[in-house]
Amino acid sequence: MAFERVLTRNVGKPEALTYKGYRQLGGYEGLAKALKMEPDAIIDEVKKSGLRGRGGAGFSAGLKWSFIPKGKDKPKYLVCNADESEPGTFKDRLLMEFDPHQLIEGCAICCWAVQANTTYIYIRGEYTKAAAILEQAIKEAYDAGVLGDSVMGSGFKLNMYVHRGAGAYICGEETGMLESLEGKRGQPRVKPPFPAVVGAFGAPTVINNVETLCNVPHIIERGADWFKAIGTDEKNTGPKLYAISGHVERPGTYEYPIGITFREMLEGCGGMLKGRPLKAFIPGGASAPILKADQIDIKMDFDTVAKAGSMLGSAAVIVMDDTTCMVRSVARLAKFFNHESCGQCTPCREGTNWMELMLKRIEHGEGTERDGQVLLSICGHIGGNSLCALGDAAIGPVQSLVKGFQDEIDRHIREKACPFPHRRYFEN
Amino acid sequence: MPKVTINGRTVEVEAGTNLVDAAIKVGVQIPHYCYHPRLSVVGQCRMCLVKIDGMPKLQAGCSTQVMKDGMVVHTDVPEVEEAQRGMMEFFLINHPLDCPICDQAGECGLQDYSFKHGVAYSRFQYEDKRTYPGRERIPLGANVLLNMNRCIQCTRCVRFTEEVAGTGELGFFNRGARAEIGTFPGKELNNPLATCVVDVCPVGALTSTRFRFAERVWYLDKKPSICTGCEVGCNITMEHRRGDIKRYKPRFNVEVNDYWMCDYGRSTFERYKLTPRLTAPRLRAAGSNGNGHGYTFTSWQTALDTVHRRIQEAEGQGEIAILGSGFLTCEEAYLFAKLAEGAGTAQRPVPVDLGPEWKIPRHQRPPIKGREQAPNRRGAELAGLGGSAEDLLLGDAASRCAVLIVADSDFGQAAYSAEAVAKLRQAKFLVVFGWADSPLAQAADVALPVAHHGEKDGTFVNVEYRVQRFERAFPPPGQTRPAVEALGDLLSRFEEGWSNLTPGKVFDRLAGEIPAFAGLHWHDLPATGAALNVSGAAHNLSDQAAEAASEASS
Repeated sequence: MAFERVLTRNVGKPEALTYKGYRQLGGYEGLAKALKMEPDAIIDEVKKSGLRGRGGAGFSAGLKWSFIPKGKDKPKYLVCNADESEPGTFKDRLLMEFDPHQLIEGCAICCWAVQANTTYIYIRGEYTKAAAILEQAIKEAYDAGVLGDSVMGSGFKLNMYVHRGAGAYICGEETGMLESLEGKRGQPRVKPPFPAVVGAFGAPTVINNVETLCNVPHIIERGADWFKAIGTDEKNTGPKLYAISGHVERPGTYEYPIGITFREMLEGCGGMLKGRPLKAFIPGGASAPILKADQIDIKMDFDTVAKAGSMLGSAAVIVMDDTTCMVRSVARLAKFFNHESCGQCTPCREGTNWMELMLKRIEHGEGTERDGQVLLSICGHIGGNSLCALGDAAIGPVQSLVKGFQDEIDRHIREKACPFPHRRYFEN
Repeated sequence: MPKVTINGRTVEVEAGTNLVDAAIKVGVQIPHYCYHPRLSVVGQCRMCLVKIDGMPKLQAGCSTQVMKDGMVVHTDVPEVEEAQRGMMEFFLINHPLDCPICDQAGECGLQDYSFKHGVAYSRFQYEDKRTYPGRERIPLGANVLLNMNRCIQCTRCVRFTEEVAGTGELGFFNRGARAEIGTFPGKELNNPLATCVVDVCPVGALTSTRFRFAERVWYLDKKPSICTGCEVGCNITMEHRRGDIKRYKPRFNVEVNDYWMCDYGRSTFERYKLTPRLTAPRLRAAGSNGNGHGYTFTSWQTALDTVHRRIQEAEGQGEIAILGSGFLTCEEAYLFAKLAEGAGTAQRPVPVDLGPEWKIPRHQRPPIKGREQAPNRRGAELAGLGGSAEDLLLGDAASRCAVLIVADSDFGQAAYSAEAVAKLRQAKFLVVFGWADSPLAQAADVALPVAHHGEKDGTFVNVEYRVQRFERAFPPPGQTRPAVEALGDLLSRFEEGWSNLTPGKVFDRLAGEIPAFAGLHWHDLPATGAALNVSGAAHNLSDQAAEAASEASS
């Protein structure tokens, strides 16, 4: 397939880790160009490119930047969301570990566009290696004059800090991240006000995912039209990283133009593990509803996946073959969400706990016939009623289990045990 | 001001009002747990979900503000009711069913909303309830006990300590379904306002050690009253069962104590239990040493006749003095002042004890502060008492007295101090009014039992010159009478026109006479009290507030 790698073009080139090497590979050209442009022109260009947030929500990045109020009465901040902690997601890690300067460049352009003088890269605490690499790269960038009092001699001041999280999924939620960044307990805030108005330390704040920001230098360097040409349609543009895991021959992070079909993607990573048949797959990380094997030809872009009843989310594709017990898989996901719920709002705190207990019970063969309906009803009470998106995320897999795999639940209940061979003990 | 329509009823509210408050204005109650008017909005209990036209999802009423015209809100539509049922179910699945032994039962937000918005059956039948083993009886501080099993994680208590008390002893620990409330390591919930967290707790998770297991709340009779702990005059609800006061709870008054009161104030009703009561007029035989022998109990008639006679005989034998008290109501103080006028004496001081500074936070205003350990020194002075008590309590002024009338046997520490009592005892004839059988009352020649503030109607004037009315909660015991009646009887022995007095009559008479009270009437005194007009040099009071103000300005 003739596709030029964009985001991962420097992966496999160790020299990209150093400032010098990155420059030789053509880096910081986008930033140099951006600094000659008007900030608003950059926002327009990004808007025009159709770049959508790669963190999960798929919100237009350019539009998000344009919400930042103009004027200098308050400091502004860019917070880069590198708290990649959704099960199955490992794309940002690759970008940070193999091409840190690309992220720094993206952040710098974004800061120039919204006139923010400070960037915080909020990185997942477990990513020790990536944090070390980023810190080294930032140091080099300071030394080279890319960061600091005058970015590349333009007079624009920009400071960049790496802030390591302490291990909470909820700190990937943007307001939870801001609370954590401010040194408080990491739990989401009531919205509105949105971070674009009241964000970090009460000031206007842009929050973007690592991959989103990594796209920006390329858009500036090569133009919005080039970017728009990649992808399915006007609304789904650009290259996209897919983190493929599960029962495939070669799991890993793959870069494709957005909108590649799942079948092609599966072929790209060597097909199903040991050639076994596909049973189901999760297109966008733990929070996305599960799709069944008959959706194999789905185009993996934001709108098509949403139309199919799931979401592209962070594009963490989890593939499951026919030996997978769906109840057990979903119970494991429910356990994750129960563990990671911050405990602030009632539906999420109590609902995720109840769902986990119930799914575990079904998996252990102690289910009752009305459990499916009760699960759906719990999902209904959580969905849309929780304070942040974690509640909505938690019900995705459960709803799709009850709606799509009712027969498996029934088998668990009828046979009073899990009909699948146990690969490992459930309570891990 | 923007208009908002809630359940078909339109109301105009100030921009920025949240929907829970706006709904109250049209008589719609939006259920809520975590929202409290004085605490920051966190929108986390999700009980106040409402439907707003034009919004795809239900919105939390507490965090949605009315900013412009045209918002249409529904709280009685099926989606909202379903969400409320869902939230109630979530609250209840892990809540213990220990209402029969829970202090909160009867005034529990969970019980109330469960009846109103919940369902009568449980679908949580096969799973185990989440519990916090070993965290059922955690003393957070001296006055507050935590039962974590009952907590619904609304974090009102945490926000109270952070935002109102400003001490921040409480925190929210752990995550998800294991989230819990606790004190930070090495800290105790011992701030002066600590028990307020029990009031803000909508369930029985936080209970007051003072009230714990004292009474089922549905047996309590409640009357609006005023705390007598200090001069702030916090509005309280006096809650008692058949005259046995069980607790004071703060009563909302935005002008004085807002929603709060201090722990010291809550403890002050215990003085009525700790000190023996005087329940019948008592005469002391001549020559008795006051050690319990030589007393005769008598009727009010005889006792007042005796006092009347001694006052009349006093001429030429010595002075007459009246020792007032900061615990007198304005009406009582007025009558004592009349008595003093009749007897022609200027010695009518109002001694009060000074305590530490008590401070009650208020909304968008500086906190209200008080140091005097009595509720009504200002009222008593406005009503005609006043002067220095030094001569009587420390000097030998009492020895020059033919009759010394002490208005309150519990006016302060001095009533319990042997030296002070000995000083006052030097008077030839010592009359003591009061509810407490204090050493001072025991030393009296005539001890007259009068009602304490739970047993009478009256008004107090607080530190900011706000006159506030309180109500009688229960009848006085034995032959005890409200002092206003007794004083009326005594005064009518001297002149006409004082019989059949009630506090209302006295107040109206006082208001007609004393400029600071001008225009006020007993029956239309506002519930939040009325600010008195005491500006200028109209009074020669040794007023701390005025002093402080002049200090601040100089």
